[in-house]
Amino acid sequence: MLKHNFLLIFRNFKRFKSSFFINLVGLSTGLACTLLIYLWVNDELNFDKFHEKGDRIFQVMENREIEGSIKTTGQTQDFLARVLAEEMPEIELATVVTPPNFFPSFTLSLAEKQVKGVAKFVGKDFLNIFSYPLLAGNKNTILANKNGIVISESLAKSLFRTIDNCVGKSVEWQIMDLKRLVSITGVFKDVPVNSSEQFDFLLTFDAFKDLIGIKGEEMNWSGSAPFFTYVLLKEKTNVDNLNTKVADLIKRKSKDDQHRTLFLKLYADKYLYGNYKNGIEAGGRIAYVNLFSIIAIFILLIACINFMNLSTAKASRRIMEVGIKKVFGAQRKTLVWQYMIESMLLTLLSLLVALVLVKLLLPRFSEITGKHLELLFGTRLTLASVIITLLTAILAGSYPALYLSGFSPIMLLKRQFSSSLGELWSRKGLVIFQFAISVIFIVSVLVVYKQIEYIQNKNLGFDKDNVLYFETDGKVIGNAETFISEVKNISGVVNASSMLGNFISTPEGGGMPGKIQWKGKEMILAGAAVNYELLELLGIEIKEGRTFSRLFATDQNKVIYNEAAIEAFGLKDPVGKIVDGQEILGVVKNFHFQSLHELIKPFCFRLEPQAGTSILVKIRKGTEEKTINELQKLYQSYNPGLVFNYKFLDQDFQAQYVAEKRVALLSRYFAVLALIISCLGLFGLASFMIEKRTKEIAIRKVSGSSKIEIVLLLTNDFTKMVIVSIFVALPISFFMVSRWLENYAYRIELDWLYFFGAGVIALLTAWLTIGIQTIRAAKINPAKSLASE
Amino acid sequence: MIQLTNIDKYYDSKFQRTYVLKDIILEVKEGEFLSVMGPSGSGKSTLLNIIGLMDSPSSGKYLLDGNSVLDLKEKVRVDYHRNFISFIFQAYHLIEEMTVYENIETPLIYKGVKSHDRESMVADLLDRFNIVAKKDLFPQQLSGGQQQLVGIARAIISKPKLLLADEPTGNLHSTQGEMIMETLKELNNEGMTIIHVTHNEKFAQYGKRIIRLEDGNIRSDTNRKT
Repeated sequence: MLKHNFLLIFRNFKRFKSSFFINLVGLSTGLACTLLIYLWVNDELNFDKFHEKGDRIFQVMENREIEGSIKTTGQTQDFLARVLAEEMPEIELATVVTPPNFFPSFTLSLAEKQVKGVAKFVGKDFLNIFSYPLLAGNKNTILANKNGIVISESLAKSLFRTIDNCVGKSVEWQIMDLKRLVSITGVFKDVPVNSSEQFDFLLTFDAFKDLIGIKGEEMNWSGSAPFFTYVLLKEKTNVDNLNTKVADLIKRKSKDDQHRTLFLKLYADKYLYGNYKNGIEAGGRIAYVNLFSIIAIFILLIACINFMNLSTAKASRRIMEVGIKKVFGAQRKTLVWQYMIESMLLTLLSLLVALVLVKLLLPRFSEITGKHLELLFGTRLTLASVIITLLTAILAGSYPALYLSGFSPIMLLKRQFSSSLGELWSRKGLVIFQFAISVIFIVSVLVVYKQIEYIQNKNLGFDKDNVLYFETDGKVIGNAETFISEVKNISGVVNASSMLGNFISTPEGGGMPGKIQWKGKEMILAGAAVNYELLELLGIEIKEGRTFSRLFATDQNKVIYNEAAIEAFGLKDPVGKIVDGQEILGVVKNFHFQSLHELIKPFCFRLEPQAGTSILVKIRKGTEEKTINELQKLYQSYNPGLVFNYKFLDQDFQAQYVAEKRVALLSRYFAVLALIISCLGLFGLASFMIEKRTKEIAIRKVSGSSKIEIVLLLTNDFTKMVIVSIFVALPISFFMVSRWLENYAYRIELDWLYFFGAGVIALLTAWLTIGIQTIRAAKINPAKSLASE
Repeated sequence: MIQLTNIDKYYDSKFQRTYVLKDIILEVKEGEFLSVMGPSGSGKSTLLNIIGLMDSPSSGKYLLDGNSVLDLKEKVRVDYHRNFISFIFQAYHLIEEMTVYENIETPLIYKGVKSHDRESMVADLLDRFNIVAKKDLFPQQLSGGQQQLVGIARAIISKPKLLLADEPTGNLHSTQGEMIMETLKELNNEGMTIIHVTHNEKFAQYGKRIIRLEDGNIRSDTNRKT
């Protein structure tokens, strides 16, 4: 029976070659898309999931009520971990750490060798909570020695060429003008790429306290500090109960700080569910995971619809086969199976093609998604592909199987077969569905593209182009002024200055938050400590007053605000007025120190020439290569052997929109795919329809119909379907893109042209697809098609 | 073997009831060779379909082999088709994707006959109808008469008791038609009950008994003297 079925299926494929290829192409690209997205989604879902005790590791988060809204942050005080471990019996271990990106890179020196690396100061139980496997050293004592350092495998290799015997050796680390000699207590395996904490070596938090002068027992509950606190709960702890206990800890400890509550967040959830809106969890990267999963499902669905439509369309040619089989004793069940096996086989074949496609596309896909994805056949991926394939086969095959096997043999014997109304409707409905999805895709692509173009061309209020920056390392520290003036002497350099931190420091945008008192209220205000000439370098425009100048010695006590800040203060003629003890020197026009997702908020510049940790250099356009070479020479004359790591400000700006650019690029691919697969299906349907109507076409021609009339007649049905799908798609896509644009404080206006354009694109592709066939059909000599009967 | 009592078949449209068959009473005994004649639209095919369990009458009684066979479950009906009743069609209705051999084999597959037994059964029939050389050809490569021979071979391979033929010679020229009718006669001689619908007076004469239908009624029922 099985052999018999396979034989028939194989011959059927041969007989209906074009629909076989349409299905193969459609299903394999659909499956390839799904597999690629599966790989990406799987990678996202497994981020931070490698910690053995992951289900018990929590981060302590803080909700701060500020001016009626709640700001959620992971920043806590250094002693919180200790207090929690002491006071809450449910907590097994707790540790304080410095947050990621807290410091610029450290320099590690060993004799003549210097290596840069990312450091993290951690409490002594850090390695007992998180699973970063050790290659050397004892987990329990490794962080006990205040002056110890634990380094990564690759750091050990670049320092010593081997990981053997490095325990006990001494290295010196340096950042800004701070340096310490520490001894290596252990080596850990490199932090996996799917970890949100990335570091090259660990230092002890006790050492950090020494550095910045926090005394052992000092506890100021009303102050705020930037550290992260992680806890490991005892097994079978009720998290809800513990959360209520933890919530008002600060309120209990500090009488004058009643607006801060604590809660626990599962560490493993942080990566995907990192956003908070007014104290309530509001998704995060999970939104993209969901979006792309849905896209994958839809593309596969479009391919399945092709299979269904083509199978039922060719039913008229297979109805005899069904009738005969029934007459000679085939049960419906048997026939259903035959068609299911047919779709199974086709899907399996498509899977093979899809796997080849995935293999070919993976490098590009990894590049777009910024991940290192690999096609490794473990149980998970095998299982996933088997399930995806089976589901596809069932989805694609079930309708034709049930439909075809449902014919009664009497229809065959009466030699009558006409498509029922319901069947026609369902086929039309499916085509409309396909095209509606395509149109939604196209609208989204157009809008996302326009918004990104808008971002790129928007006047930010500062000039990000041709500005590069690098950290002050080694001997530059302490000699910054001399260094900067030497930089200015390089011929391609327009200007140079320095500041504390980075101008665009995080994807969310720059500025160090600071608190000020104004009219009896506390205000949180972003700001930057800068050197002379930084504002000029960045092209930030002065609106009132003046900028910092070396000519006035007292400028160090004065500040420059942006317009938003002055508005928030409610000041008129602000120059010379005093806010929180500091005189306003000038006001700058508003500029986007954060991404365009955010409204421009109050910002403050302070003059602190000595605080600079990064040097900014504006380069004359066209001289980049030469100037950078010169800069490198100068840098290395200060720091021989150290790599000159520089970045352009524009790169940081672009990094703020990495996510949307990814979405833009991917959605463009997916939109094209969706449209192509839909058109393939339309092509197949059109050829069946034309074949069915050859006789009609011939008779019409004999009766005097012109070619154009024939073409219009044949195109008419499809045109109607596509137009209906456009109308179905428009409200849905309008809703979707409006929601997406709401993410931006500064955005394009939705124009009806985007929707109209998408409709035109869909209609034109559809016409192109069926046009060639209808023209050919209209050209056939009627004598031929009539004679064949 | 077949007992039809007061069989009606009609279609209701908005204003009137159209009878295809009206008050048919017919008994067919085992081993008979019955020819059914009549003009187009006289209900011949409908009668055959009702006898072949492919259509059900609007009213009346039908006993097949002593059992009532109205409103059968699919499983039982499929069983009758596998083991008891077989068909030959005017348009042959061979499956185009299958070779001669595979077409003949199909009913045995649904019957669940083992592959080894199938082989010898198909070989026997190919031999009997002299089409061994054609076994790997596809239907389109055969002449009409040959295709109908394959159709007969397929119909009788499961050794049915009742063979229903709906104008088996309708698409054939007379020599080929005669060959087919001779084959049917031979099968009848071996004991198979055959009911055969035809337009052709000459071919009708192969039957041992002829009924003539007109407007859904049996007008005459004659036994041919042999």
